[in-house]
Amino acid sequence: MIPQAPEQRRALIGEYVLGLLEEPEATEVRELIEHDRDAASMALEWERHLLDLADALPAQTPSPALWQRLQQSLGWQSSVDQADSSLARWWNSLGLWRLTSAGLALLVLLSWLPGVLRDSASGPSYTAVLQVPGESARPGWVITVDASGTLHLESLVADQIPPDNSVQFWTLIDPKDGPRSLGLIEPGKGVTLSAEQIGAVQAGQLFELTLEPKGGSPLNRPTGPVLYIGRAVLTASN
Amino acid sequence: MSGSEFDYEGTLEACAGGDRAAFKRLYQQEAGQLLGLAITLLGRRDQAEDCLHDALLKVWVNADRFDRSLGSGRAWIYSILRYRALNQLRGRKQLVASNDGFINYMADETAQAEELADARSSARQLRDCLRLLERPRRHPILLAFYRGLTHDQIAARLSAPLGTIKGRIRAGLRALQECLQP
Repeated sequence: MIPQAPEQRRALIGEYVLGLLEEPEATEVRELIEHDRDAASMALEWERHLLDLADALPAQTPSPALWQRLQQSLGWQSSVDQADSSLARWWNSLGLWRLTSAGLALLVLLSWLPGVLRDSASGPSYTAVLQVPGESARPGWVITVDASGTLHLESLVADQIPPDNSVQFWTLIDPKDGPRSLGLIEPGKGVTLSAEQIGAVQAGQLFELTLEPKGGSPLNRPTGPVLYIGRAVLTASN
Repeated sequence: MSGSEFDYEGTLEACAGGDRAAFKRLYQQEAGQLLGLAITLLGRRDQAEDCLHDALLKVWVNADRFDRSLGSGRAWIYSILRYRALNQLRGRKQLVASNDGFINYMADETAQAEELADARSSARQLRDCLRLLERPRRHPILLAFYRGLTHDQIAARLSAPLGTIKGRIRAGLRALQECLQP
């Protein structure tokens, strides 16, 4: 039974908004809110007050892939994004990274990559070699940012990670802003992020992969050990 | 990022009219704060991003059902996110282990009535009013909001009988609405 007295009714709607009512009461209140403008307005009023609690939490940067995923779900994928992904397919189809040893792949990468993409766009390009912390002879991943600003993360290793963990990709531009999550990574598998997702890259910008709880860090910063880390180096500035 | 200058109602109405740029502005304005709440509720970033994705799709699809004469557009968006997050939580078999440090901290924040005497009730915020409650009434409300716990789960977490917890929450909400009423 839903009370008629406004005070009691308002408190009951507050319990509903907090998700505390059980059936059949929850359904009664839900139906009331759907059909009664005063009840709907009370529910929204509680929700507005609760914003004060939501705003007490720090905002967390969504991974760049989320906006792209939303656009896909809405059927809005723009032609620019499609061009990006066809470039990525062409790029991956070369299978370049898997051909040679890590060191040779790096050499090849540094010598010809900027030239290949030079005529497609005019920005600077960067490379970062991500290594096991403190072990400069163990490159694990290579990042290239081409002249169009698209970032490719490619694996040189096939690591096994514990089933209860995920690997998360981060970047740090300015220590005072803190690291920004670039999403979860499948061990051994590369990823391509568009310039829009990644933002402008700067020389010296830090990239790292960390071991996080399954599903990613619950915080807006890494919580687990650094697996691989490296800084962006300018390879061409036209 | 409470964004008091951002026109949530106008943006939702633009979304209802099919304005994709308006939806993108809304995403840029609010996705971070929404994700913060979703991660706090769900305890996992990947599930929180799924929840945010689903909630924002619903915001776009149902934008024409938003009615500014009923209340705040921002509150309407959060109601959709919280509803989805609560459904996700209720579908789980087990609670995810969580660090309740900040909830305990907020539960300990007590204010004296005199501190709020100057503030006109129309300007009072929920957190001000929560601080006026006794801790046993305040703590279960914080657990319900930030962790999406049910009465049973709150009773277990606080080692109190179910009936006691229900009574405290109800009394707490009545005291809050009295404090918040203009």
